[in-house]
Amino acid sequence: MDLIEPTLDAFRLLFTGDPKLWRIIWTSLYCSTVAIALIAPFAIALGFLIAKVHFPGRRALVITVQGLLSFPTVVVGLTLYMLLSRQGPLGFLRLLFTPEAMIIGYMVIAFPVLVVFTLSSVQGADPRVYETARSLGAHKLMAAWTTLREVRFGVMASIFNGFGRVVSEVGCSIMIGGNIAGLTRNIPTAIALETSKGEFAQGIALGFVLIALALGINAVLSFIQGEGGMT
Amino acid sequence: MSGHLVRIDGVSKRFGERVVLSAVAARFLSGESYVLTGDNGSGKSTLMRILAGLDPAESGTLEMDGRTADLASYPEWLRGEIVYVHQHPYLFDTSIAENIGFGLRARGMEAAERRRIVAEALEWAGLGHIARVRPSKLSGGEKQRVAMARAKVLHPRLFLLDEPTANLDRDGRHRVLDLIHDLGQGENCVVVACHDQELIQLPFMRQFRLDSGHLASVPRPGAKPVSADRTLA
Repeated sequence: MDLIEPTLDAFRLLFTGDPKLWRIIWTSLYCSTVAIALIAPFAIALGFLIAKVHFPGRRALVITVQGLLSFPTVVVGLTLYMLLSRQGPLGFLRLLFTPEAMIIGYMVIAFPVLVVFTLSSVQGADPRVYETARSLGAHKLMAAWTTLREVRFGVMASIFNGFGRVVSEVGCSIMIGGNIAGLTRNIPTAIALETSKGEFAQGIALGFVLIALALGINAVLSFIQGEGGMT
Repeated sequence: MSGHLVRIDGVSKRFGERVVLSAVAARFLSGESYVLTGDNGSGKSTLMRILAGLDPAESGTLEMDGRTADLASYPEWLRGEIVYVHQHPYLFDTSIAENIGFGLRARGMEAAERRRIVAEALEWAGLGHIARVRPSKLSGGEKQRVAMARAKVLHPRLFLLDEPTANLDRDGRHRVLDLIHDLGQGENCVVVACHDQELIQLPFMRQFRLDSGHLASVPRPGAKPVSADRTLA
């Protein structure tokens, strides 16, 4: 198989601003970013609460959330499909095969990632952070916010990991997005489709974008950590 | 003349079967400094943490300004009146100036006023030259002084300092001792838990000793007469 020609074609598609290609990239970035932005506050708050508050059933909750990390995304897609399909309990919302449905799916997939990473970061935080804030007169919410600020690199890592998981996700996207060109077709579903058709150029171009995103996210995270006075 | 500032009564705490504090009672007077001694594990830090609202007591009350607080369910109003400084103070990962201004910000003080007070506190603690430095660059003595300045700006009625001179070199210890002396000058009161003999022997310090869960005042020849209640246990 000739790899050079499709790779050159891929660069051409990327740098000539091919509208179909950039629409796919936009769909991926839009759905992933909105999903993370919507779910992050709840997931981070829950991660903090599980780490700091001891309540009956806490251990079971931790095990459940950790278990959800390895939950197949296609099963998330299947469950949401059944909920959102016309005959499903949420069918009246008419969300199936829309970007909104994909955002819901991504929120479900990212949720345990953000909770578990935040939980781990807060558990690893020095207990004196919260105590010091409280002793200096901070109310509980401010002390919680102060703790999250002190472990902000861990919290940011959770956000980037959640983003990384959903931006490269295929199963759920196909199940509830439908891979509709110009509407719900995103980077991973487009790669799968183009490859199955033997159209490697677009698949390679989109693969480059995914790799660039992964590298970019890691670079930003490393840069921020370096700037954080972690000496 | 010293006046009655804080009175604690019936403070008890146990960890499992082990009784750490048994109906501890004491009275602390304003303008006085106290040193709390006792063997390792005698409950010094536990008592301080209970008074600061960081751990709940099993039972016990604290009376201040005619108000009585149940130490088993620490009330929020007391947090503004008592500030606790850890043995190894935690400084937030921001500048020294922002660390000192943290409690003021928590109280909603406006930025300009906060900056003025922080500048004074930096001067007081001899830290003016490192106001913008990150905590990770500071020595143990400097961190302790930052924590004391951070507590001082809040004007609490009661300062609780846990082993403030532990692991400090001679110079660092003397600077911290000077600040402790200064903290106890106003209408407030300082309670220091420590093993540091130099600190214990300071003429302005009155001594309590925790032993087997009971708190007792320790008279010292030539020292000021102890003006706090003996244990009621």
